[in-house]
Amino acid sequence: MDLSFLTVQVLSALRQAAFLFLISSGLTLVFGVLNILNFAHGALYMLGAYFIYWLTLYLVGPGGFLLALLAAPLGVALIAAVLEMGLLRRIYIQEEIYQLLLTYALVLIIDDLAKIVFGPEFKSVPKPDFVSGSVTLFGGTVPVYTLLVVVLAPAVAALLWYLLYKTKTGKVVRATSSDREMADALGINMSALFTLVFAFGAILAGLGGALAGPVRTVFPGVGTEVIIECFVVVVIGGLGNLWGALIGSILIGALETIGIIVFPEFEMALIYLLMVAVLVVRPWGLFGRPLKIKALSEKNLEMEAQEISPVHFSVHPAVRWAPLLLLLLVPLVAGRFYQYLLTQIFVASLMAIAFNLLLGMTGLLSFGQAAFFGVGAYAVGLLVTKAGFGTLPALLLSPAVAAAAAAVIGFFCVRLSGVHFAMLTLAFGQLIYAVVFKWYGFTGGDNGIQGIPVKPIAVAGLAGIDIGSTKEMYYFVLVVVGLSVEILRRIRSSPFGATLKSIRENGQRASYLGVNVKLYQWTAFVVAGAFTGLAGGLYALMEKSISPEIIHWTKSAEPVLMTIIGGIYTFVGPAVGAVVYIILNSYLVAWTEKWALVLGLVLLTLVLLLPGGVVGFVNEKARQIFGKLRCIRRWSFSKSTTS
Amino acid sequence: MVILEVDNVVKSFGGLRALQDVSLSVAKGEIRAVIGPNGAGKSTFFNVMTGLLSPDSGNVVFNGERITGMPPHRIIRKGIGRSFQITNIFPRMSVFENVQVALFSHHGKNRNPLSLARKFREIGEEALSILEQVGLADKYDASASILSHGDQKRLEIAISLASRPALLLLDEPTAGMSRFESRETVALLQKISREQGLTLVFTEHDMDIVFGISERITVLQQGAVIADGTPAEIKANPQVRKAYLGEEITE
Repeated sequence: MDLSFLTVQVLSALRQAAFLFLISSGLTLVFGVLNILNFAHGALYMLGAYFIYWLTLYLVGPGGFLLALLAAPLGVALIAAVLEMGLLRRIYIQEEIYQLLLTYALVLIIDDLAKIVFGPEFKSVPKPDFVSGSVTLFGGTVPVYTLLVVVLAPAVAALLWYLLYKTKTGKVVRATSSDREMADALGINMSALFTLVFAFGAILAGLGGALAGPVRTVFPGVGTEVIIECFVVVVIGGLGNLWGALIGSILIGALETIGIIVFPEFEMALIYLLMVAVLVVRPWGLFGRPLKIKALSEKNLEMEAQEISPVHFSVHPAVRWAPLLLLLLVPLVAGRFYQYLLTQIFVASLMAIAFNLLLGMTGLLSFGQAAFFGVGAYAVGLLVTKAGFGTLPALLLSPAVAAAAAAVIGFFCVRLSGVHFAMLTLAFGQLIYAVVFKWYGFTGGDNGIQGIPVKPIAVAGLAGIDIGSTKEMYYFVLVVVGLSVEILRRIRSSPFGATLKSIRENGQRASYLGVNVKLYQWTAFVVAGAFTGLAGGLYALMEKSISPEIIHWTKSAEPVLMTIIGGIYTFVGPAVGAVVYIILNSYLVAWTEKWALVLGLVLLTLVLLLPGGVVGFVNEKARQIFGKLRCIRRWSFSKSTTS
Repeated sequence: MVILEVDNVVKSFGGLRALQDVSLSVAKGEIRAVIGPNGAGKSTFFNVMTGLLSPDSGNVVFNGERITGMPPHRIIRKGIGRSFQITNIFPRMSVFENVQVALFSHHGKNRNPLSLARKFREIGEEALSILEQVGLADKYDASASILSHGDQKRLEIAISLASRPALLLLDEPTAGMSRFESRETVALLQKISREQGLTLVFTEHDMDIVFGISERITVLQQGAVIADGTPAEIKANPQVRKAYLGEEITE
């Protein structure tokens, strides 16, 4: 390896690290003070890149470029300040997940708005002449722009250090970051500080985007790629820790450069592998510390009490089974399109209800459920196409394979809680995605598996039932999902379910009942993984082709969205959410391209106005009305939970 | 018969010695108060005994078994119950469910929790009887989060009782209660201890309660035991008088 090669590679790694640091330092700063992991940080990066693109159309020459480089981040900061004051501020008091979802809604909205304003195509910013050349360093050719980025990032780091450690406001920020209650008690103006820090974080994201404009292309949705990389950086470094973000950026920058040279196939998998390795050894990241668990007294219990009224009423079994009967009759009146649509809804419902065993019941936000969905789907796809399995044996193995994956992944994840848990599940999910995406020899890589044959199911040695057609597949999926949902319902109202609920409410107290909290969480994780895998297996059969896309993290967001739309603390909520989601998706996509925008607005409205979801809202109203009419059966203690 | 034996427990936080050579021996069925000024190490002591903290050195022996450093859920299963200084309940569950889930855990100790499903009714009745014991039966379907502070404290005692402990550790069981509420709670604790032979170890700031119900008192100061004896002995102890100068103990 000669010196010129080394120089070029080192500088390339440093450039990558510089970009990562600029963006992730803002992310970690915002988390440190506001305790919000901002999904929209990547979207703010994208805005920075678009702004410089737009500004340089009018501002020419070196002066113009530098002016644009300053103005773009400020524009982003302005937008961020408005978002913080208008939206985020309203939900600080609620649980983490709502804050996470609000920022996710912002991603959907900002991405689609960018598409409307700037168009869907890739844009690139022309490099201004004065930085477009290259110089020779130790025999290697290095672009001047790379040097500019590599010099600018440490300058920003130094400026950050100065602002945080040498100015009064900086000291206030650090104090708030280490103990929010104490800072509040000292009379610090929290709302102003939060807006300031959020806007400042946005400046860093915007600067990252503006600087990246001339060397990377910008397009709607580029933020979702950037944000995941930044999550990896800040989680490795330790959430909320600036030095952690610096070390994390350098590690990832170096690893990506080495990866491209040494393991070009699995470069993507490497960074997730590093993240998993770091979190397994140091659960809170290299420089992080465990998050303070909110004491009960700090939570807004009245608000939570409204969300979920403990007045229980049990639904008559006939009411539960009636929808199933109706669904059995649907194919008699509805055409193939509706049958297919409903089959999709069944599969999504199973995934969402299984997911809610974690979120609504146990209080664990998993952002990697797509991994288990994918494992189940690929299990069926591979067993049928490569091992010649029959339809039913392959399908029955899919939950087993997914459960095995969940058992291993869960073992590491349940040691963490809150945002850390979400990030580790995300990392494991992306790791599986990256492997499936590149492993052409086994999984077919990004081509996926096409033409999965659906063989007739042999029953008791008879000729067998053919489930190849849409209608037969409809019935098959309905039966499998129906049975699974019934099992999940029983789990929910069992002592096991009640114990999960107590862990969600107060993990410490639960352990003082003699409950092995981690073991219960792990079991819930495995059960959820198994049913998610079954949903994936069904998906492989009904679609007859699968691709790695179903494992991508954006797919993991779907059950989260469905659950929030339908109602997090209800059993049927996630299924209702799946209905709304799939119907919105198929109809909106048909007559407008702005599907993400609509979904984002729906999510935003729900998070702000109806945190209990559709079913939670209906339940509440029903209780008010029927409570007055005295129609609700007095709750008998043979049933422990609501439907 | 000794139920709880603590031997020379030491616990430091950084340079601060929160507990220095604390020893304690509690007989079965005894009501024992642990008192001391704020910062004397009472809560740390409770946290060490129930596994929330691991001592630097020393031993905790319960019923002849060494439980030092075990995780809380295992210690609880040995037969120790605990209530907390800051109310610690399951807020978004009904009063009934709060006790029910504790019973599930207790009855499910050595079995598959799913097998309990058929016993729902029995467990329900048991939960109601515990709620009657603490006087919350009429509020069984209210959300625990909307109870008054006193009721939440009582609910916590009910949760702790549900695991049928042989030893109950109560960290300021009457904190924040009205005078009437605390008197009721104390009477309740005394009654349960008498009827079920339950051993109680509690901390308390109200000296009327301490001297009213305890059989022995241990006094902590700056992390060390400065006195241990019957209420009369403690009242006469000059060192304790000095530590509590100006407080009610002088009467």
